[in-house]
Amino acid sequence: MRAMPISERATPEEAPGLRTRALPTLRRLRWLVLPVAIALILLTLSLFVENFATANNILNLLVQVAPIGVMAMGAALVMITGGIDVSGPAVMTTAAVIGADYMARTGDLVFGPALMILVGLLLGGVNGIGVAFLRMVALVVTLSIMTICSGIVTAWTNGQSVVGLSPDFSATFDRTTIIVVFLSLTLLLGFLLRKTLFGRWLYCIGANVRAARVTGLPTRGATFAAYTISGACAGVAGIMNTAALSSARPGMGPDTQILDVVSAAVIGGVSVNGGSGNIAGVALGAVLIVMISNVINLVGVPDYFTGLIKGLVIILAIGLDKMRSGSPS
Amino acid sequence: MTQVPTSSTPARDDTARVAGPYLELNAISKRFPGVQALRRVTIHAPGGEVMGLVGVNGAGKSTLMNVLGGIVRPDEGSIRIDGQAVEIDSPRAAAHHGIAFIQQEIQIFQHLRVYENILVGELERWRVAGPMLSRKAMRSEAAKHLAKLGSAIDLDARGEALVVGEKQMVQIARALSRGGRILLFDEPTSSLSAREKDNLFQVIRNLRASGLVIFYITHFLDEVYEICDKVTVLRDGEVAVQGKVDDFSKAHLVQHMIGREIEGATGAQGRRLGDVVLEVSHLTGTRFPQDANFCLRRGEILGVWGVLGSGRSELLRALIGIDKVRRGTIAYAEEGAPQPVRARHLFHTVGYITEERHLDGLFLQMPLWKNISSACLRAFASRVFRILRVRREMARAREYMAEVDVKAVDENMLASQLSGGNQQKTIIAKWLMKQPRLMIMDEPTKGVDVGAKQEIQKIIFEKASSGVSFIIVSSELDEIMSLSDRIIVLRGGRIVSELTREQFSKDRLMSESISGEATHAA
Repeated sequence: MRAMPISERATPEEAPGLRTRALPTLRRLRWLVLPVAIALILLTLSLFVENFATANNILNLLVQVAPIGVMAMGAALVMITGGIDVSGPAVMTTAAVIGADYMARTGDLVFGPALMILVGLLLGGVNGIGVAFLRMVALVVTLSIMTICSGIVTAWTNGQSVVGLSPDFSATFDRTTIIVVFLSLTLLLGFLLRKTLFGRWLYCIGANVRAARVTGLPTRGATFAAYTISGACAGVAGIMNTAALSSARPGMGPDTQILDVVSAAVIGGVSVNGGSGNIAGVALGAVLIVMISNVINLVGVPDYFTGLIKGLVIILAIGLDKMRSGSPS
Repeated sequence: MTQVPTSSTPARDDTARVAGPYLELNAISKRFPGVQALRRVTIHAPGGEVMGLVGVNGAGKSTLMNVLGGIVRPDEGSIRIDGQAVEIDSPRAAAHHGIAFIQQEIQIFQHLRVYENILVGELERWRVAGPMLSRKAMRSEAAKHLAKLGSAIDLDARGEALVVGEKQMVQIARALSRGGRILLFDEPTSSLSAREKDNLFQVIRNLRASGLVIFYITHFLDEVYEICDKVTVLRDGEVAVQGKVDDFSKAHLVQHMIGREIEGATGAQGRRLGDVVLEVSHLTGTRFPQDANFCLRRGEILGVWGVLGSGRSELLRALIGIDKVRRGTIAYAEEGAPQPVRARHLFHTVGYITEERHLDGLFLQMPLWKNISSACLRAFASRVFRILRVRREMARAREYMAEVDVKAVDENMLASQLSGGNQQKTIIAKWLMKQPRLMIMDEPTKGVDVGAKQEIQKIIFEKASSGVSFIIVSSELDEIMSLSDRIIVLRGGRIVSELTREQFSKDRLMSESISGEATHAA
C-alpha cells in the first residue's frame, strides 16, 4: 500500500470516519483496564510491603470486598435501568441488626440469615414501589429509605451493638464461605443480566424507557424487581458483615459507604445514565475501591485523605464514562 | 366560502404606519439530506405590514422560520435588516437583531410571576445590588409592555394561573421587552378560544400600527384574510406565489398551496379487502379524540389526515390505550366477528410506530438485533430460567432485516449508526417480527429520504396484500393519498369526513381539514 503523507490522509471529511473506526478498538480493550490496574497495585504492594502477597492477606482483602461488592452488584442492576439506589449500606445495617438480634435471642441460625435477606427484600421492595409504581425520583426515594433505616436501627438497638451470637454462626459463614457466596452471586447475577429475559428488560429500560414502554416491555415490574433484588443483596451483605464481625453494630454500614458502593459500580463500567454495565466489572470495581482504601491505610496517609482520594477516583471514572458516551458513534 | 372578505379587516390605512424595520430574505436555499427544504426563497417584509406565510405540512415554513431564528443556517442566500446584511448563526444572534418567536407551544415559567416571565430573558439588566433584582423597576417595565398590548393581566399572577391567551400576551410582551422588532407568529391561534383570538388579532393590528415586521404562519386561510396584508405561499420549499392578500381568492391560494395535480396512485389497486376487523365507536379521550367512529377491514389501509394539532396522534394513542379513554368502545378480531376488547388489548397485539423514533422508537445505543427482537423477547426465552436464545434472536433479526431491506453492515451495528430511513425500517422490522394483524403508524416516513420512503411504502403495500390492516397518520398529502384505501379527516379531534378513494383530492383534503367547507378550486 502506498504511504500517504499525514495531511492527505486526514482530510476533514475523512477525519470523523477515522475516529469512529479507532474507537471500537479502544472500547474492546476497555475491560482490561480494571484487571491491569488491580494487578499493578497488587504488584507494587507486594514489592514494597513485606508479607503482603500472602494467601492470608489476599483472602482477608476479598472478605472486605465481598459485602461492598454484593451491594454494588445490587446497585448496578438498578443503575442499569437508569435509576440509583443509595440505600444499600443502610438497608444492610438494618437487616444485620434485626437478623442478629433474632439469632442472639433464639439461637436460630437458619432463619436468622434468611430474616436478613427478607428485611432487605422488603426495604428494597419499598424502594421499588416508590420508583416503579409511584413514579417518584429514585434518588429521593432511596435517600428517604436510607434515613428511615438509620432510624429503625437506632430504635432497635438503642445504639448498642448486637452481641451474643452463637460462635457457630461465624464458624459457618467463615472466610471461605463468604468468598464463595460472593463469587457465586457474581456468577448468578452476571448470568441473570447477560443471559435472561429479565436482564434484557433491564438494559432496554435503561437504554430508553419510553421505547421500552411502547415496545410493550413490563417496565414497571422489571424496575420494581431491580430495586427489590438490590435490597436482597444488601441483606446478603448484612449476613457477611455480621459473620465477619461476630456481631451487628449500628455503625457497620455508615452512610459514607454508599460512595464505595456506587463508585464500585461506576468504576466497573456501569453507566450512570443507564443501559450499560456488567457484573464482572462491578466485582472488579469493588476490589479496586477496597484496595485503594487499604493502600491509603498502608501508606500511612491520614484517614481523612481516604475520602478525598476515593472521590477523585470516582470523578475520574465518571468523567471517562461521560467522554465515552459523549463521543461520536 | 369563495368570496374575498376584504371588508372584514378594518383600519388598513397606509398613512397610519410609522417607518419601521425592513426585513429582506434573498434567495435563501437549504438542503437537508434527501430533501431540498428551501429553494431560493425571497421575501421582502416592510414594517407595518403583516406577512402571511402559508403552505401545506412540509412546504418549508418551519425551515424558513428556523433560518430566521438562527437554528438552521441556510446554504445560500442572504438576510438583510434595514438594508444591512446580517448573519444569524444562533438563536442569540436572532434575538440581538430583534427577531422574536411567538411559538405554538407557549413557553411560560409556571412558578414565576407575570412580570418576571416577561423580563426573564434579560434579568441581569434589573440588578440593583449584587444578585438582588429591583422588583419595582421590573414591574413598571413589564407594565409598560403589557400596556402597549392593551392587556390587563395581573403583573403578580403566577405563570400557572394564566389562561392560554394570557400566556401568549406574556410571550409577546417578552418579545417586545427584548427589543423585538420582527415578530414571528407560528400558528398562534391553534389553542385559543374565539374571544382570545379576536383579542390577539387586535394586538397584532396594534403592533402593525407601531411599525413592526410581523410574520404570521398559519394553516387557516380564513385567518390570512382576517389579519394579513400580504401573503407568501410556500410549496415544496419554493415560493409558489406572493402578493397582496386582496389579490387572491381563497380557492386560488389553496390551488397554489397544493400545486400540481395528483399523480396516479400506486399500489393500492387490485387489493381485495376482507371482513371488518376493527370497529371503533364513540371513542373519546380526555381532550382528543372526540366521539370518533370508524371501522377497518382486513388488508385495508386507512389514512388519518388533519392539520397539526387536529388530534391525529391522540386518536392512535387512545385507540391502543396509551392515553386515557373516557368513553367509547373498541371491537377487534383477528378472526371472525370483532368483539369488544379492553383498553390496552390492542397495545399488546398490534404494531405501533410512533412519530418520534429517537424519543420512543429505538434503543439507540443497542445493536440492531436487540432492537428488532425487543417486541417479541418472550418468544426467545426458555421455559425454565427464561434464558434468551441469542443465536436464534440474531438469526431472526437478520431475516427481518432482509425482509425490509435494512442497509447495515450486520445486525451488530448500533441503531444510532444508521440513517433515518434505515432506523425506521429497523422499527418496522421489530413490529413485523411480532406478526401483527394490525399496524398503526404515526408518520411512517417522517425524516427519511426519498428512496427509503418509497421502500417503506412498498413494504406497507406488500403487508396489506397479505392481509395486514394499517392505520396511518401522515402529514404529506401525496403520501396519504397514494397509500390509503380510505381517509378519515380530523379537525379539532373530531372525524369531520371520511373519503373513499374516488373522492380523494388535495383540495378536498386541505379544505376539509382547514375549514370544513369544500372550496372547490376552479
